[in-house]
Amino acid sequence: MYIELHTRSAFSFLEGASVPEELIAAGLALDMPALALLDRDGVYGAPRFHLAAKNNGLKAHIGAELTVRNPISKSGTCSIPVLVKTREGYQNLCRLITLMKLRVSKHAKPGECSVTSDELAAHAAGLVCLTGSFDGPMAAALNGGNGDAATHAGQKTVDWLTGVFGRENVYAELQRHFNREEEARNQAVVELARRNRLPLLATNGVCHATAARREISDVFTCIRNHVRLETAGRLLARNSERYLKSAAVMQKIFADLPEAVAQTVELSSRLEFTLKDLGYEFPKYPVPDGETMTSFLRKRTEEGARWRYTGRNGAPTYEQARPQLERELKLIEKLKLEGYFLIVWDIIRFCRDQGILVQGRGSAANSAVCYSLAITAVDPIGMDLLFERFLSEERGEWPDIDLDLPSGEKREKAIQYVYERYGKLGAAMTANVITYRGRSAAREVGKALDFDEDTLSRLARLVHTWEWKDPSDSSERQFRDAGLDLSNARIRKFFQLYQQVQDLPRHLGQHSGGMVICQGQLDSIVPLEPAAMPGRVVVQWDKEDCADLGLIKVDLLGLGMMAVIEDSLQLIRESYHEEVDLAHLPPDDKGVFEALQNADTIGLFQVESRAQMSCLPRLRPAKFYDIVVQVAIIRPGPIVGNMVHPYLKRRQGREPVVYAHPALKPILERTLGVPLFQEQLLRMAMVCAGFTGGEAEELRRAFGFKRSEARMKAIEGKLRRGLQQNGITGKTQDEIVLAISSFALYGFPESHAASFALLAYASAYLKCNYLAAFTTAMLNNQPMGFYQPFTLVKDAQRHGLKVLPIDITCSDWLCTIEETPETPHALRLGLKYVKGLSQQSGQAIVRARVVRPFTGIDDLCNRVPELRKAELRKLAAIGALNFIQGAVNRRDALWQVERVTRAAGELYEELAEKDGDSPLLPMSVTERMDADFRGTGLTIGKHPVAHHRAELDKLDALRAIDIRKLRNGSFVRVAGWVIVRQRPGTAKGFMFLTLEDETGVSNIIVTPQLFDRYRLELVDHPFLMIEGKLQNQDNVISVKAHHVQPLAFKVAASQSHDFH
Amino acid sequence: MFACIHAPQLPADLSLPDFAYGFSPIVEESAGRTAVIDAEGCELLFGSAYQLATDIARLAKEPRTNGGLESTVNVALAANPDAAIHAAMRLKGITFIAAGEELTCLGELPVTALEFSLVNVEKKLADEIFETLRLWGIRTFQEFASLPVTGVSERLGQEGVRLQQLAAGKTERHLKVKQPAAVFANSIELDHALHELEPLSFIFARLLNQLCATLNAYALATNELTLQMQLADQTSYERTLSLPHPMRDHKVFLKLLLLEMEKAPPQAAVKAVSLTCDPVKPRVLQHGLFVPLAPAPDKLELTLARLAKLVGEQNIGSPVLLDSHRPDAFDLKRFVLETRKNSKFEIRNPKSVLGFRMFRPPLRAVVQVDRGLPAQISAWNKQRSVYGKVVNAAGPWRTTGDWWRDDGWARDEWDVAVETGKPGAEQQAVYRIYRELNSGAWFVEGNYD
Repeated sequence: MYIELHTRSAFSFLEGASVPEELIAAGLALDMPALALLDRDGVYGAPRFHLAAKNNGLKAHIGAELTVRNPISKSGTCSIPVLVKTREGYQNLCRLITLMKLRVSKHAKPGECSVTSDELAAHAAGLVCLTGSFDGPMAAALNGGNGDAATHAGQKTVDWLTGVFGRENVYAELQRHFNREEEARNQAVVELARRNRLPLLATNGVCHATAARREISDVFTCIRNHVRLETAGRLLARNSERYLKSAAVMQKIFADLPEAVAQTVELSSRLEFTLKDLGYEFPKYPVPDGETMTSFLRKRTEEGARWRYTGRNGAPTYEQARPQLERELKLIEKLKLEGYFLIVWDIIRFCRDQGILVQGRGSAANSAVCYSLAITAVDPIGMDLLFERFLSEERGEWPDIDLDLPSGEKREKAIQYVYERYGKLGAAMTANVITYRGRSAAREVGKALDFDEDTLSRLARLVHTWEWKDPSDSSERQFRDAGLDLSNARIRKFFQLYQQVQDLPRHLGQHSGGMVICQGQLDSIVPLEPAAMPGRVVVQWDKEDCADLGLIKVDLLGLGMMAVIEDSLQLIRESYHEEVDLAHLPPDDKGVFEALQNADTIGLFQVESRAQMSCLPRLRPAKFYDIVVQVAIIRPGPIVGNMVHPYLKRRQGREPVVYAHPALKPILERTLGVPLFQEQLLRMAMVCAGFTGGEAEELRRAFGFKRSEARMKAIEGKLRRGLQQNGITGKTQDEIVLAISSFALYGFPESHAASFALLAYASAYLKCNYLAAFTTAMLNNQPMGFYQPFTLVKDAQRHGLKVLPIDITCSDWLCTIEETPETPHALRLGLKYVKGLSQQSGQAIVRARVVRPFTGIDDLCNRVPELRKAELRKLAAIGALNFIQGAVNRRDALWQVERVTRAAGELYEELAEKDGDSPLLPMSVTERMDADFRGTGLTIGKHPVAHHRAELDKLDALRAIDIRKLRNGSFVRVAGWVIVRQRPGTAKGFMFLTLEDETGVSNIIVTPQLFDRYRLELVDHPFLMIEGKLQNQDNVISVKAHHVQPLAFKVAASQSHDFH
Repeated sequence: MFACIHAPQLPADLSLPDFAYGFSPIVEESAGRTAVIDAEGCELLFGSAYQLATDIARLAKEPRTNGGLESTVNVALAANPDAAIHAAMRLKGITFIAAGEELTCLGELPVTALEFSLVNVEKKLADEIFETLRLWGIRTFQEFASLPVTGVSERLGQEGVRLQQLAAGKTERHLKVKQPAAVFANSIELDHALHELEPLSFIFARLLNQLCATLNAYALATNELTLQMQLADQTSYERTLSLPHPMRDHKVFLKLLLLEMEKAPPQAAVKAVSLTCDPVKPRVLQHGLFVPLAPAPDKLELTLARLAKLVGEQNIGSPVLLDSHRPDAFDLKRFVLETRKNSKFEIRNPKSVLGFRMFRPPLRAVVQVDRGLPAQISAWNKQRSVYGKVVNAAGPWRTTGDWWRDDGWARDEWDVAVETGKPGAEQQAVYRIYRELNSGAWFVEGNYD
């Protein structure tokens, strides 16, 4: 028997070519009872390795190749393979890696990141050391000299390693890859081992699961060293022998040293530790004296519940809520999760104290305790939400609380608070493993194969930018279309490598908001390393790995709309002198539901997309739960699962409410027999296929993260068998499987949809009642949402908002609300919208103006030296200097700006002309609009299309507002500015355009055939005229295009928002 | 008065200045297929200025054999050369601009049409000025010219003023008259085609003599000499001598050329000969007092050329190891004499103390294998034979690579001790044998000393 104890995976980032699952599968095929993973300076792949091994009945040993400063050769570093023997050893390994990683920046060069011999000695307990491969300490000693000198250096290395790890924990490693130099070294190692009575250990230094994967290994070597295969020379592998070999093969290779092979089994039996014994404990929360975490949580929950459950406005009373709260608290206590809930409560408390808006999303909204602790804003009792989706004893999985915070500085403030509170080694972000995909894979593999830039670009273009992929698009056809010949050996090789490299890890990134907390001991659970962003620390595992190993985490996510709502509330306070309480918004605001029913939703959270807009008039939301459904229904899950139309038809009474199986009635009754939420799919699997709660969740995750095709297939088989056993077969079975599989991937949990619906309602409420504040906040938080600032401004103007231009005498850096004689709430555009004006200059203008007003452009220049000439020009061109004394129009200002930025010198002072003597003509209307777009990306004047209305009238092109009055089926012609282009993956090749004119937007549908015919115009042209048939279905108005014609209107910097 | 000729469709092999020299000796070649001639005094030859312009336009249409350009040209006559250039470049046909009437004619041209290089304004600055003018709403020469000069000077600087003068047609300058460039080429057309190398060598000697004299006159040398010959069978013959150091010795050039031609003589009689060289600065060398003198570069070059003729060009040079795991991967680079201080012999693997004699080419062998190990070898050719029982073997040493190419390799090497059984000789010899894994063929690569 032989056990491979030195294996590197692709998580050694470009130094290994197989993912852990492939290694385990290969080990399984070779009947290996155990396998060890030793990645380079990390345990990145350990969770996946552990999980794959567990699922296949193998024992997964963990270790790492540690980069250590070599005290013997005194020159550089060497790589020492260590294996974890005990939990203490694992903790030491994590601490050692953390030490080396946190010492340097993320982008440290190889060799800079290492541990010293002393640090190694201090953390050697519980670890077993191998003498290493070609880059190990023994090779460094033996390669350093000849004869006696080498033997002497080898002996010193043995003394060093046995001194650090203890004689019983050092193994003389032998690898045989059919290489003369390696064998010479092996002979010396055998001699040293015998002299020092060290056991011999055969390994194969595996870098890839199979011999064929050596090609990927070579490509990775090229990428790592920034060379091409042709020029990589001896950097490449000498042969393909570093693959997982069977016991028989290894016994043959080590026929002269059978004890080295036998020793692998012996050592494996000594390695007790697996990740099952991680030793992770739930974090504790420091409570005041005399309190336990349980009592403290109960008190905080009770306080909160009494505040939440008042019985007013249809809310349940405290007494009504108590049984549910008690049930939840008991489970929390049983699972010892009090600390976790208190930690999240503490973050919420910090945010509230700091005036940071925060709201829990996701399944946490199913919990009444979370609602009472103000973690979430949706009342699960009132909405009858399923608590088990959040927390269930049976599932053996820990809760996952996601908090939405305003994006930007405030979210960072909350993250830094968590770091401060739990210490640098107590909290860290979860990682995000960036894998080779699409263009990056094409480009890097192409580069390694030495393709020229032109071919590389063509190869990269092969990877579709549009989400939609034509099913007839075979790889061969794509290659042929790009002018690449698959009969060419190199192109064919590229194609193979490109496919093999997909999904292999490329580097470690940082997850947007996931934080793991462990009270000062996180570095003994998982190694920490610096993130690219200063002040951030990440763990070596991603979100899924953390979940798999039971690490509890909090997601602090940045949400633009939270920032908008927070800013809006502040603006309302300042300008309207009103206080809006988000927790107690009127639930039945007429304006909100009217806007939603009319799809008048530009700028609103979650319901502003084109697809949402086309659904709103059919769904006609009339109460809050309708918004919950609306948020959840326009998701790829329901669309792929063909749920949208049945639901809408049933809602309109055009189709009877039926159930695929009678057992589904209680589950789907609330959504008219159509599954719309993830909770429903869990219950469906449980009821119809006999899944347990844990299995149902496993099913959701298998489909949800698409990590492994094989895992999905296996669980789908199980699901079908379960359905079969319950007598559900044929079409019904297919329908249920389709619903479940499409939902798991993209569906929303009901609680999550409810949290989002709250934000959608809040945004609609603010827009309908405080338009100036809402639009100001939206503009100040760009980029976000679906539409460009130009569209937001035009929409607000159409709703009656007065928008004032950028004016240096009164604009702040951000947009503000101003009182004017006509209206108390007009929006003043901020200097932020001047393209090319730095924030530093903008704020300097505001500071100088506060001291005293500017008397002229000269004065502005003198008092704001930060302003560069280009910035002044830009300000003059957009009319921001028009109101300074002395300037009357933009051209005057431009004429003056050029003079004041070029000092004439004292000698010519007398010659200088007087201000205002401009020989230039004022800008025309179109020139002003052009300058506005060039300078700010928007205009508050007439819509660009309005300038051409007379020409469009001659062409019989209708306005967006006009086509709403026409009958379904009329043949119409509309023209406008393309503000959104979409070709979603779920739309079978159809393209959707949104055209805007001075009266609003019109929606265009382009068939795949028409798209092919007018591809260039549709993709690139800013102004289009569309002829086609008007479709008016339930007040959802769109034009099905028959003909596309580009219009030659000129507007600088016009850009649509394209979704690929 | 200046006349500007602009030939937008000028054939690439025709020269506009050469055409312009036909009308005046004072010619300036401007960018964009434009030439300006000083027409002062031309009326004595061609009549009125208008007549001159008409003659230019007419002759330009003529075929090249008649001295024409085979294309239509624009001709502009103006008192200001720059106004003439703008008019010729932008207005079709013949344009006559009277002094002071520049803006009447050119006033509507867009400011971006200004040829800023004429007034020494860099492109970046010119673009910046054009952008400022765009912001000002100034679109044409006329609008630009009408701005107050002081205002322009204060805002756009002297470059702006120069551009404004250019737009107004008020610049003052002399033509930059074109000087003919030195030619480092020589050619001759023979009255009778030559078959033999010997008479050709006289022709070469004459041409080289003149070429080296020109190089000498400009204190230059060459490291690349190109010979082109037109042959009687309507084909051409071309050879290029690349020299490691710049030289200008016509005798050495002649010998090198003759050696080169002996290696690959032309296939037909020679009708015309042309020699061109790439002029570079000559090499100046200071020899050390105690450094042994190396052979003169020209003599070394001759020796190498003679050797190349004997053994073939691909078989001469200095061997260089290639950075590859491919066994015996080396290349030949051109031999260059280098005097290295403290030159040290480096061994890639210092532990390899055995010498190894390589058989070139390797001996094809028949190897009997017993339980995966070579047991018996027999291999022979005319020079040597290897035969016997393998008494000891180490290996296999496996290398595989270049898998992305058609000529990737994969082989297993063995170091084997073979019992020769030859009386009187050593009883055992150690060989390196290998098996090509793709074909399965065995070879003996060499023996260890």
